[in-house]
Amino acid sequence: MFKTLLSRPFAPWFSAALGCALGFGFLRGESIGQEPFDFAHKVLPVLKKHCAECHTGDQKKGGLSLNSRESMLAGGESGAEVLSKDRSTSELLTRVTTKDPDLRMPPEGPGLSAVEIAAIEQWVRAGLPWEQGFSFGAQGYEPPLLPRRPELPAPSSPDRTHPIDRILDADRAARSLAPLGSIKDEVFIRRLYLDLIGLLPTPEQTQAFLADPTADKRVKLIRSLLDRDIEYTEHWLTFWNDQLRNDYSGTGFITGGRTQISKWLYEALINNKPYDAMARELIAPLSGESAGFANGIRWRGEVSAGQTVEIQFAQSLGQAFLGINLKCASCHDSFIDRWTLKDAYGLAAVYSNSPLQIHRCDKPIGQTASPGWLFEELGKIDAQAAQPERLKQLASLMTHPQNGRFSRTIVNRFWHRLMGYGIVHPTDAMQSQPWNEDLLDHLAVDFVDHGYNLKELLFTIASSEAYRAESERLEERESTVAYAYQGPRARRMTAEQFVDAVWQLTGSAPSKFDAPIQRGKPIEIDAAQPKATDPQGVWIWSDTARSPSVPPAGEKIALRETFTLDALPNQAFGVITCDNEYRLWINDRLIAQDKAWETLESFDAIAALRVGQNVILVEAINGGNGPNPAALYFEMKLIDPRGTVSIASSDRWKYTASALDAQGKFAEGVNDWKNAVVANGPWGGRLKNEIAMGLARGPLDGPMVRASLIKADPLMRSLGRPNRDQIVSMRPTELTTLEAMDLSNGQTLADWLERGAVLWNARRASAQTGDAAAAAGASRELIDRIYMHALSRHPRTEEIATIEEWIGPTLEVTELEDILWSVVMLPEFQYVR
Amino acid sequence: MMHPYEFDPDAPRSHARRDFLKQLSIAATATLGLSSPRLVHALSDGTQILHPKAKADAIIVLWMGGGMGAPDTFDPKHYEPFEVGKPVAQVVSTFPSIPTAVDNIRISEGLENVAKVMDRATLIRSHVQPDLGSILHSRHQYHWHTGYVPPQTVACPHLGAWVAKVLGPNNPVIPPFINIGQRLEGVGEQEELKAFTTAGFFGSEYAPMNLPFPEEAALSVRPPKGMELARFQNRHRFYRKLADSHPERDSMSDFHRDSMIRSMEGAYRLLESKEREAFDINLEPKESYEKYDTGRFGRGCLLARRLVEAGARYVEVTTEYVPFLHWDTHADGHTTLRRMKSEIDRPIAQLILDLESRGLLDRTLVVLASEFSRDMIMEGQPGSNAADQAEKVDKMTEMKHYGLHRHFTAGSSVVMWGGGVKKGFLYGKTAPERPCIAVENPIGVTDLHATLLTALGISPKTVFDVERRPFYVTEDGKGQARMDLFGS
Repeated sequence: MFKTLLSRPFAPWFSAALGCALGFGFLRGESIGQEPFDFAHKVLPVLKKHCAECHTGDQKKGGLSLNSRESMLAGGESGAEVLSKDRSTSELLTRVTTKDPDLRMPPEGPGLSAVEIAAIEQWVRAGLPWEQGFSFGAQGYEPPLLPRRPELPAPSSPDRTHPIDRILDADRAARSLAPLGSIKDEVFIRRLYLDLIGLLPTPEQTQAFLADPTADKRVKLIRSLLDRDIEYTEHWLTFWNDQLRNDYSGTGFITGGRTQISKWLYEALINNKPYDAMARELIAPLSGESAGFANGIRWRGEVSAGQTVEIQFAQSLGQAFLGINLKCASCHDSFIDRWTLKDAYGLAAVYSNSPLQIHRCDKPIGQTASPGWLFEELGKIDAQAAQPERLKQLASLMTHPQNGRFSRTIVNRFWHRLMGYGIVHPTDAMQSQPWNEDLLDHLAVDFVDHGYNLKELLFTIASSEAYRAESERLEERESTVAYAYQGPRARRMTAEQFVDAVWQLTGSAPSKFDAPIQRGKPIEIDAAQPKATDPQGVWIWSDTARSPSVPPAGEKIALRETFTLDALPNQAFGVITCDNEYRLWINDRLIAQDKAWETLESFDAIAALRVGQNVILVEAINGGNGPNPAALYFEMKLIDPRGTVSIASSDRWKYTASALDAQGKFAEGVNDWKNAVVANGPWGGRLKNEIAMGLARGPLDGPMVRASLIKADPLMRSLGRPNRDQIVSMRPTELTTLEAMDLSNGQTLADWLERGAVLWNARRASAQTGDAAAAAGASRELIDRIYMHALSRHPRTEEIATIEEWIGPTLEVTELEDILWSVVMLPEFQYVR
Repeated sequence: MMHPYEFDPDAPRSHARRDFLKQLSIAATATLGLSSPRLVHALSDGTQILHPKAKADAIIVLWMGGGMGAPDTFDPKHYEPFEVGKPVAQVVSTFPSIPTAVDNIRISEGLENVAKVMDRATLIRSHVQPDLGSILHSRHQYHWHTGYVPPQTVACPHLGAWVAKVLGPNNPVIPPFINIGQRLEGVGEQEELKAFTTAGFFGSEYAPMNLPFPEEAALSVRPPKGMELARFQNRHRFYRKLADSHPERDSMSDFHRDSMIRSMEGAYRLLESKEREAFDINLEPKESYEKYDTGRFGRGCLLARRLVEAGARYVEVTTEYVPFLHWDTHADGHTTLRRMKSEIDRPIAQLILDLESRGLLDRTLVVLASEFSRDMIMEGQPGSNAADQAEKVDKMTEMKHYGLHRHFTAGSSVVMWGGGVKKGFLYGKTAPERPCIAVENPIGVTDLHATLLTALGISPKTVFDVERRPFYVTEDGKGQARMDLFGS
């Protein structure tokens, strides 16, 4: 019994903590099983009240310290405490119950109450169980707040001068660990591509890199990848969406309780906005576009006090920017770290628009929270200021150059992404001790020195010798010994990386995406400088839009414009959108269609144009349940050396109410064409910039659409893309059986591979006319290319032998499909090594 | 190589469980690195939280998604037929009651077959839900399925994931948590449904295997479309050869490699195993198939029975929640319920009889439940300020006014069969007149879960350490099983 209770591995203290967290009070008696002794609630208050002053911390009156169970059992000058369930032999019990004033504890005051004595007696009977890890003594590690510039150790050799290597080489030398070997170029290029832009290098890119004889080719490669803005942005979008719980669908959107920050985030990344500026705009939004993070998710109905949007604000800020968990403290003073209910509510009150009642465990305690923040050493929030001003103050305090915890948190997250293991790990536990303080502190000050430049941070890490070291050889999942740097730890591809890589190999990427963004760098529109690409169109509709009339719901019209070309232009691209729904044909070819007027579609029409007469035809439908505004915007730019011509929606366009069929044809001749009407509505203001930018950006020739721009589908969900209802800092590191099933027989992946096999087969087709030897050669070349693209290496002899045994004399398309499957199922493929 | 689901069923129970945990955790507890959830009790002697002795090895939850009105199903009240001009205040039930195999239990017309198996059932009429203000179905469903009211600071695991995590599979090749009948794409509130149809912080090893269409379930355990078994086996054989013929294994930890290949093997085993036939309801003899074939739910019940026979652990079959459809009657409730009852009546009764005749009912707990009840007039519960969501009329003028069109959270019915619960037993009571609130033995989600978990041999205090905080299977670990529901 004694042993059982003593080794009781779960903590009633913590149970109570959670009891509060969920707002339903304390632990009650159990219906089944044995109730563990509740040290935290029964005994701890008694010890604190009557004994702590003289027997805890540095105080050891009479030689007795109650700091820990061990020190208590060791006893003091009058001897050790006896472990016995018999109360008569317990020194402790004797001292608190005796009538002898010389012996009684505490010596002053009325002593323990009957209830308190009963608690001590039960405690003695239970074998004096203690709270695991609890001590009255000095508290554990407290991370420093201020930045620190560590002195760098001398380089271990002249070619290892990178600050990271100076620190880590010294670290390894101190642990008597041998230097680590470097990886080959072919491993490096794959690792770097996947880490920085989330894509596989193509065989050509790999070959070019391998063939480059220059000494600084690795550094050049890092720079060139970081310069690939679109790919960089669309890879890191995954990390930031997780971190800022942003997504294109999810809980809360249905009731309008949540907004996206996608557009803002995309632009911040593509412009490499400094991280401190990003944080400021997330905390104190300059516009609605970055407000979704601070505003959180508002569920319909009533929520517990620990989950209001104000408290979410405190929790999200703490977790995302500081790696501090305020979830405990949102409900009661935390038992596991130093954060208190007031800390959490102070932060929440900065955001709150009205006085915020502090609730402890979902019950109001009759106090109003005062706006404040966690590190007032750096400055205080003016509690009297209005909310926008308070947020601004908070934003500036959070990003204060002296807030070392802010910079340490982000550099640690990036280190974790590239090196597989945080300097503080897990990355949300920033209250705990790093395995190398100098490394963390150096990276943090260096990051601030470089103006919070995220790309520079990546450059710094990736250009170290440490980054190009061989991967750590992990024999078990979690080592029981303390972490020591043994090279980067291999990381499983994220769901998005895997999907992107398969799309690269199979040409299966979709052409449309869900993120409400314009790909590429936003273009500054200078209204004072008219350009040929400036928009010239107007929003148009039918007669029903002629004021004061309002178009009825469900109105369906066809709009037409014709123009004549004497020669084909070099380029023809444009933008279109319609409130609410449209399909666009140019010369009978379906060019675009969509149902969301808030997003603009860009299109390339060059292939549809012809010399002579050209016809633009749009089917446009109004939505809604009653009369509501409706309008179409279309504009196409034709560019050739002679100049730029605009074809844009205007009141010269014609419309008819006659219906079009699915192919964009009228059932019979139309003879009621009428002139379109310029429509008034909110669209112009909302989409003015988008249209201008869409036209200024030029024809679409963008890189592959990426998985990060697509709503989570069942495959990505299965592979670990989270529901972004909560902040996620670290994805699952291993493949599970259910995931393996989706990969083994799921239709989504099977379809991509099938398409990919056809594509690869077509590339080989030209060589298939020859004899058997030529065919075998062509197959071998194909396999070689697949390996080069997927794994950045040639297949080895035994792998070629296995595949040849498999396929026999001829390589069938189905076999090609199965080979592709096998390659993408290799651990070597699915890990960034 | 150890299959991740594999453990020795003959080993003493506690031992088997520990081994199982050790193995299962290979793929799963690692998923979040050091922040992964850690079972707090299973240390050296593991005696701290006493798991009760299991009464059932498997559980089937029959989910009446959308809010099943108790007065028109398992808790009939005063019946008023439809009449033009009749004040709605007079109507409590829209169906007359019928007798059952148990003298003191009457249920609603339309459930004649279920009535015949009520002598094997415990009927709870006093299930209650918290007042969350304005009603959102998926929020109450989240609560019912995870034990926690959203939003929460961590992703809460579904009840099925808890069962899968703590008990593991009955049969190593049958996934321990199977969810039948609910589409998660293309339906309203789909994101909210996904939010709880998940293993949450346990990671995807314990996630549900979702089978929205029972008749297509076989496809999900077959090789991909168009791939015959021989090709599938061949593919796997050469895949293994390629994966193994990597002599230097350069820049790859054995651990990562082995863990991934183990999962691939696990998937392959199921896709190739004989047990996968359990997923194919078309293999059921015609006569038996027809008994279940009332619709998707009925076929789902058949699939559930086949899966439990093959060793499934937690199976949920839903009538499917789609806003404003099925049990979610905002109008025309009476007519809709006639159809709903005809869809569930025969298959549920048949499921109970089949389990019984196969000797499985004693060790299988079947639970029929819904996120709340419904009422003709009252939204939420007395004192709630939930906003009304259905058309309000004082007098019925058309048939569409006749039905329980409001969401009622103060008294719903739960039926349990098998798994050690009492037979022909009635527990709890609601008021005879509106508001029909639970007036005897009210039981919330927390205690209801504690009761189900206790039947399965899982302590309601089972706790994992998540982000350095304890997270219990029942809220706060305070769930208390209603032990008086068990016995003969």
